[in-house]
Amino acid sequence: MLQATALSKSYGEKVALQPLSLTVKGGEVFCLLGANGAGKTTTINLFLDFIPRSGGSATVNGLDVTQHSLETKRLLAYIPEQVNLYRNLTGLENLTYFQQLSGQAPMPRTALLALCDRVGLPSGAPDKRIATYSKGMRQKVGIAIAIARNARALLLDEPTSGLDPQASNEFSAVLSDLRADGVAILMATHDLFRAKETGTRIGIMKHGAMVDEFAAADIGHADLEQLYLRHMRN
Amino acid sequence: MIMTIARKEFTEMFRDGRVRSGGLALLLLVGGSLLYGMRQTQQLATERDTARQLTRAHWVSQPAKNPHSAAHYGIYAFKPRATLATLDDGVDPYVGVTTWLEAHKQNEFQFRPAQDATSAQRFGTLTAATTLQLLVPLLIILLGFAVFAGEREQGTLRQVLSLGVKPSVLGAGKALGVAGVLSLVLIPAAVLGVIAITGMPDGGSDLVRLGVMIVSYIAYFVAWLALTLAISAFASTARVSLAASLGVWMLVCILAPRLMTDVVRSVHPTPSASAFAAAMKRDLDGGFDGHATGAQREKLFEEAVLKKYGVDSLSQLPVSFAGLSLHEGERHGDEVFDKHYGALWTTFAEQERVRELAAVVSPVLAMRSLSMALAGTDVAQHLHFQNAAEQYRRSLMTAMNGEMTMKSKGQDFDYKADPSTWSNVAPFDYEAPSAAWVLQRHTPAMLFLGVWAAGAVLLAGWSIGRMTP
Repeated sequence: MLQATALSKSYGEKVALQPLSLTVKGGEVFCLLGANGAGKTTTINLFLDFIPRSGGSATVNGLDVTQHSLETKRLLAYIPEQVNLYRNLTGLENLTYFQQLSGQAPMPRTALLALCDRVGLPSGAPDKRIATYSKGMRQKVGIAIAIARNARALLLDEPTSGLDPQASNEFSAVLSDLRADGVAILMATHDLFRAKETGTRIGIMKHGAMVDEFAAADIGHADLEQLYLRHMRN
Repeated sequence: MIMTIARKEFTEMFRDGRVRSGGLALLLLVGGSLLYGMRQTQQLATERDTARQLTRAHWVSQPAKNPHSAAHYGIYAFKPRATLATLDDGVDPYVGVTTWLEAHKQNEFQFRPAQDATSAQRFGTLTAATTLQLLVPLLIILLGFAVFAGEREQGTLRQVLSLGVKPSVLGAGKALGVAGVLSLVLIPAAVLGVIAITGMPDGGSDLVRLGVMIVSYIAYFVAWLALTLAISAFASTARVSLAASLGVWMLVCILAPRLMTDVVRSVHPTPSASAFAAAMKRDLDGGFDGHATGAQREKLFEEAVLKKYGVDSLSQLPVSFAGLSLHEGERHGDEVFDKHYGALWTTFAEQERVRELAAVVSPVLAMRSLSMALAGTDVAQHLHFQNAAEQYRRSLMTAMNGEMTMKSKGQDFDYKADPSTWSNVAPFDYEAPSAAWVLQRHTPAMLFLGVWAAGAVLLAGWSIGRMTP
């Protein structure tokens, strides 16, 4: 579903991403680990065509993201570290807005409320303004939007950072659901534990390059931490 | 989808207290200026009608007297207040509303409200036109500056652009949302305006002008809205967007018109009032070459008259020499007036042309000249009235001098005309130029306004199309 082939990005002399190739199939969760500035966010931005690439290609469902900028975005859902919503609108209004902006028929209120419930939004919250929401609640609205839009691939940029363990756990549970539905997920994260729990494949990035890549099932929690730290120290 | 975006923008803006109070303030301003303009128009119309009837009554009720005395007694001409002056009083406060039509002179207009104004009014009076031309663009900026830049700052633009929405759809939806909030202010104002205009006596006759005026203002607002969105799509933060938009507003609405006044004055200078009067007096007294004295010219005229009638002395003339001489005096005066006023009016027309061309740098200049013209309060229509009044004065003088020439004899000023002579003179009835007359003259202004609106929309399209999160 998501495919990068020798995808690279540099700003003048400075290389932000060295030629990177990765594939995320439907039903897979690819976790990108690495320190800040390792190129994780750059990779996601390139898939969103928010920044022009310097080389290689990125495709979504076989469509090049630059040539089919709008079509590929309609297959994607993007959840950043901080899901930014309209403060003066309620959670439900935000959800409705983003869902309809994807070009889909409006969903009935009951279906939207059911969706809010599924992602773990407290009852009563959907009709409150976003200004009153906690960070965790906003991330849940973000994932509700992704589900409502019927996205085939998710681009997550540290979506659980700053969430309390319970919220983080609930978030991961929804991701597992989506994976089971055949959604391809590319997630940048600092959370080794989450990566091991929800990921199917794990890539470790450093200085704009993918230095290691393996199946999550092939490694234990403790080994993953050891491996990560070894890469970071080198 | 455009409607979804528009509705969301509308909801968000409407929930913002600043927008609500700003809009309410503007609505009060527009409403207030309309009510004030309406009262002003009605009051002026009543005063003018009373004065017109009075001057006519004075003229008609003159006793038997010498026609030339009657010519000196004169008549006042009152400029009618155009109904649409309710919306835009244009140059009216500066050019005066009445002139005295008397023998020998083409008088200046008197009673300029600006002369009696307090210093606070130097900033201009509050009319619907100034509100629409200067303050509505401010409200548009207030509503629109954050439309993209604010979302960019909050990070929601990233979210929106990740959905794969077409930029044109996004832009149209945003524009429509702002227009929706704006129409909460402008539609009640427009309805109030139309009721005010059509409710006035013979207000219905100005509907074409009013219609074109409404369309022009819509084009003007479209230009501002598109410009605001273009800047907002480009600016990194809402603050930058607001500063840039306000900068453009200052430049276009405040600086450009003032600069233009100076440019116009230096390119096509008009003489000072005293220099103008002095030059005219020189020609009136000394003939065009400035050398022949009044006495010399009188002598030449006398010889010509004697030759024409084939007589030796003035006492043998079958007509009044005094009448002929007065007529000749008027003829010479008219030539001098035509020369001087003609030159002045040509300068005014040239100034107007420069002002219209200057619309290239500022849409407010195009809008202002168009608005005044449609309201019937621009310089051209003032001159149209002034010209009609002068033609009436000349026909009045011809009638009075003719009466003198035919009914009197020689140098005699003792002849007294019958009072019926006065009522035989038709009253001064002025008909303002038609809408077509105005539109024909202001095609460039309409064109410029259209170009500004279309240009701003294209700029917005380009700016939104290449927008980054």
